[in-house]
Amino acid sequence: MARFAGGKAPFIRIANEKGENTKRIMRDFLIGLLPVILFSWYKNGISVYLDGNISVLEMFYPLFFIIMGGLLAYIMEGIFFYITDKDNRNLKGIMRRLNTSYAVIPGVILALLLPLYTPIWILMFAAFIATIVGKMLFGGFGNNVFNPALLGYAVVGFTFSGIVTDINVIFNGSEIVMDSYAGATPLGTLASFRGTGDAFSYQALVEPYGNLWDFFLGTIPGALGETSAFAILIGFIWLAFRKVIKWFTPIIYIATVFGLSWLIGIMAGDSGVWFPTYSILTGGVMFAAVYMATEPVSTPTNPLGKIFFALFLGVLTVLFRFVGSLPEGVGTSLIVMNIFAIPIDTYSGVIRTKLFKKPGPLYISILVGVLIILVIYTLVASGNMYTAITSLFNLGQVI
Amino acid sequence: MIFHKAKGVQIDGRKELCKKHPLIDYLNPDTVYIPLVQRHLKLEPVVDVGDIVKIGQVVAEVGGFGAITSHASISGEVKSFKKVWHSSGKMVEAIEIKNDFKNQLDERIKAVKNVKELTREELVEIMKNAGLTGLGGAGFPSYIKYQTKENIHTVIINAVECEPYLTCDYQFIIRFAKKLIKGATYMKRAAEASKVVIAYKAYNTKVEEVLKPYLDKYPDIELYPIKDIYPAGWEKYIVEQITKKTYKSLPAEIGVIVNNSATAIIYSDAVERNIPLISRPVSITGEGIKEPKTFFVPLGTKVSDLIEQCGGYIDGLEPMKANYIAGGPMTGRAIFIDDLVVNDTLGAVIIKLFEEKDYPECLGCGKCADVCPVYITPTEIKKAYERKDVNLLGLLDANKCMECGLCSYICPSHVEITDAVKKGKELLRKGAK
Repeated sequence: MARFAGGKAPFIRIANEKGENTKRIMRDFLIGLLPVILFSWYKNGISVYLDGNISVLEMFYPLFFIIMGGLLAYIMEGIFFYITDKDNRNLKGIMRRLNTSYAVIPGVILALLLPLYTPIWILMFAAFIATIVGKMLFGGFGNNVFNPALLGYAVVGFTFSGIVTDINVIFNGSEIVMDSYAGATPLGTLASFRGTGDAFSYQALVEPYGNLWDFFLGTIPGALGETSAFAILIGFIWLAFRKVIKWFTPIIYIATVFGLSWLIGIMAGDSGVWFPTYSILTGGVMFAAVYMATEPVSTPTNPLGKIFFALFLGVLTVLFRFVGSLPEGVGTSLIVMNIFAIPIDTYSGVIRTKLFKKPGPLYISILVGVLIILVIYTLVASGNMYTAITSLFNLGQVI
Repeated sequence: MIFHKAKGVQIDGRKELCKKHPLIDYLNPDTVYIPLVQRHLKLEPVVDVGDIVKIGQVVAEVGGFGAITSHASISGEVKSFKKVWHSSGKMVEAIEIKNDFKNQLDERIKAVKNVKELTREELVEIMKNAGLTGLGGAGFPSYIKYQTKENIHTVIINAVECEPYLTCDYQFIIRFAKKLIKGATYMKRAAEASKVVIAYKAYNTKVEEVLKPYLDKYPDIELYPIKDIYPAGWEKYIVEQITKKTYKSLPAEIGVIVNNSATAIIYSDAVERNIPLISRPVSITGEGIKEPKTFFVPLGTKVSDLIEQCGGYIDGLEPMKANYIAGGPMTGRAIFIDDLVVNDTLGAVIIKLFEEKDYPECLGCGKCADVCPVYITPTEIKKAYERKDVNLLGLLDANKCMECGLCSYICPSHVEITDAVKKGKELLRKGAK
C-alpha cells in the first residue's frame, strides 16, 4: 500500500496542461505593449536622431528609460522580498517569489506614462510607490486595489508636479526646436479655454499640432506611451486576439468618452465629429483604455462588471477633464474607479445571477441611476467652459 | 442573457489511453467488500459473519426515501465487517465476502418468461429490487425517477461520458450494444414514454456503428450525437440540446427522464434475468498505470487487484507526486491510500502524475465566470465565502453550482475555486437552516 498525495478536483488544469497560465497572460501583455514601446522609441529617439538633433547614444535613451522602469520595479520587488521573506533570503528563493509576482509590467507602464527626460530619480521614486506601496503593501500581486503604475504616476504627478511640468515643457529633442508647440500638450491647450468663455475651435485645439491624423499616429507632444493611437490599436488587436483582455472594455470606454464629448460639443454649438475624435486621441484615453482599464486585478472580474466599469470610467474621465482643475481626467477617473471596482464587481455578480429576479432590478437601478446622474451632472457642469452653454446654465440659475 | 455565452470547453480527453484494450472481464476476485453506504444513507446488513451468500442475494438494505438494497456480487462466505476506503473519500463499513469460486446464483436469478407483459409498476419494482442506481456517478436510485407523477414522453440514455480519461461507458456499450437497446426499451416502458434518445459523443463513431443495426427493429429509438465539450454529459445540457427546453430542478418537469447507458445495460439483465446490480465497468487509467484497461467487475472488488491486472504502476512512480483519483479527473476525489473498493458510483480510478509548481494569486481575469455552465460568478462566491457572508452567497446563487470543476480547470493561476464554491454552497445550505 502506498500513500498518495492529496488534491482538489478537478485534477486537470489548463494552467498545467496547455501552459495557458498567468505567466503566459503576462508575457502576452508585455508583447501587447511592444508596439507602444517601439513607437515611442521611434518618435522620441529614432526620428529625432534622423533630424540630426541628438547623438546615437541619446537615440537609445527612450528605450533605456522604459527598460529602466521595468528593471527598477523588478529590483525593488526583489529587495522587498529579501526584507520581508526571512526564510528565503537567497537568490533562488527571491527569484521564485518574483516569478509569480510579475513586477516588470507596472514598471514599464509607469515609464510609458511619464514624459521623456523625467529625471531617473523621479522614475525611481515612482517605481517605489508603484511596486512597494501600490502593490506589495496591499499583499502582492493579485491583491492591489489600485493600478500600481497609475498610483506611482499619480503620486509623482502631485508631489513633483513642478519638476514634471518643467520637464513636460520639453518632450523630446525635436519638439524643443519646433516653436509652434510652445511646449503645451493638447490637453493643456484645452484647459486654457476653461473659464475664458470662448468656444473651442478646431483652429485653436488641433491646428497647432497638425491635423487629427497626426493625433492618430501620435506625432504630438505627450508622455512616452500615450500619444500614438495607432500603436495602441495594434496592441489592442493583439491583446484581444490572445484573449488577454476583454475586447469590449476599451471599446465601451472610448465610446462613452466619444459620445459624451460629442454631446458637450453639440451643446457648445459645434456638432463636428472632430471634437470627440480629438477628445479620445488626447490625454492618454486610448492608452488607459487598452492597458489600464483592462488591468485585471484592479478592475471588476466578471464581464458585466467590466461593462459597468468602462461606462463609469468614461463618464468620470469626461467629468474630470472638463469640470475638474486638472486637464488630465484619465488618471484621476481610473484611481476613483479602482476603488469602486470591488462594489461594482459584487453588484454586477448579483445582477448577472439574479437578472430580473429580486433584488436584480434594485441593483441595476442603483448602478444605472448613479450613471445617469453622473452623465447629467457632467453635461451641466461642463457648460461653464463654453459660451453657448453658459447662458443656458445661468438662465437655469436665475429660474 | 447578458454575456452568458458559456458553451462548455473542449478538454483533451486522453481516452485513447484506455481504448487500446477491449472491456476485460474480471468476474471472480478473491474477496469483495460490499460497502454499507449508498450516497449519504447507511445500509443495515442482513447477513452475519459466517453466512454463506449466493450471487444476487440481498446482503444489506435501507428503508425510507431512497430505499435501496445491496446484493452479494460473488458467492462465498461472509468473513467479517471491515472498514474500507470508499470513492466518497472516506472509510466506510463494508461486508467482506470470501469467494468460494462456486458461482452459485440466488434462486431469484432466472430467465423471466413474461417480459412482454410486464406492467409499468412491475418494471419499476424490478428496478427497485435490483438496487439499480445511476452508474454515471451520482448514484441516485433509478426507480425514484420513474415514480414521478409527471407525464413522461422521452427517455434519454446518456452515453456521452464527457469526463476525460473515462472509457467505461463507451466500452460497455460496444460490448453490450444489444442489451443497451433492450434496456432502453424497458426504460421507455417503465416510464410509459413514446421514444428513447441515445445521446453519445459525435466523435465516438463506433457507438453509432454498433447501435445503427438495431434502429430498424426499434423505431422508437433515436441516436443523438453531441459535440465534444465538457460538460456535455451534464443532464441539463443533454436535455436542453435534445428537447430545446430547460427545466428547474428535475428533467421530469418537462417530461424527460435521463439515465446513464451503463444503467440501461444492467437494467436489461434485471428485467430479463432478474440479475440485480452486482457488477459494473471500471476504467483503470492515467499516466501512472503501465497498461490502462477497462474491466467489468463485481461490486466490491479491490482496485489494487485491478491495478495488478494492468501491470501495476509505472516504474519509479513516486506516490507523493501523483494523485490517486476515484472517479473522473474533473469531479473525482483524491484517495490517500490505494486501498479502494469498487462501488456503484466508481467509474474509474486514475493515477495522474503532477508537478509541484508555484502559482500566483487570482489575477481577476474573469475566465471562471465566462465558462460557468450555470452562469454564476465563482470569484464573488469565493470572496463571500471567505467573509462567511451567507446572505450574499444566497444572492449569488451559490447553490446552483453543480461542481463540474470548469472554473478551476480554466483558471490560469491554479486557484482552487471550485473547492471554494463547493464550500460556499455548503455554508449556504447550513446557514439557510
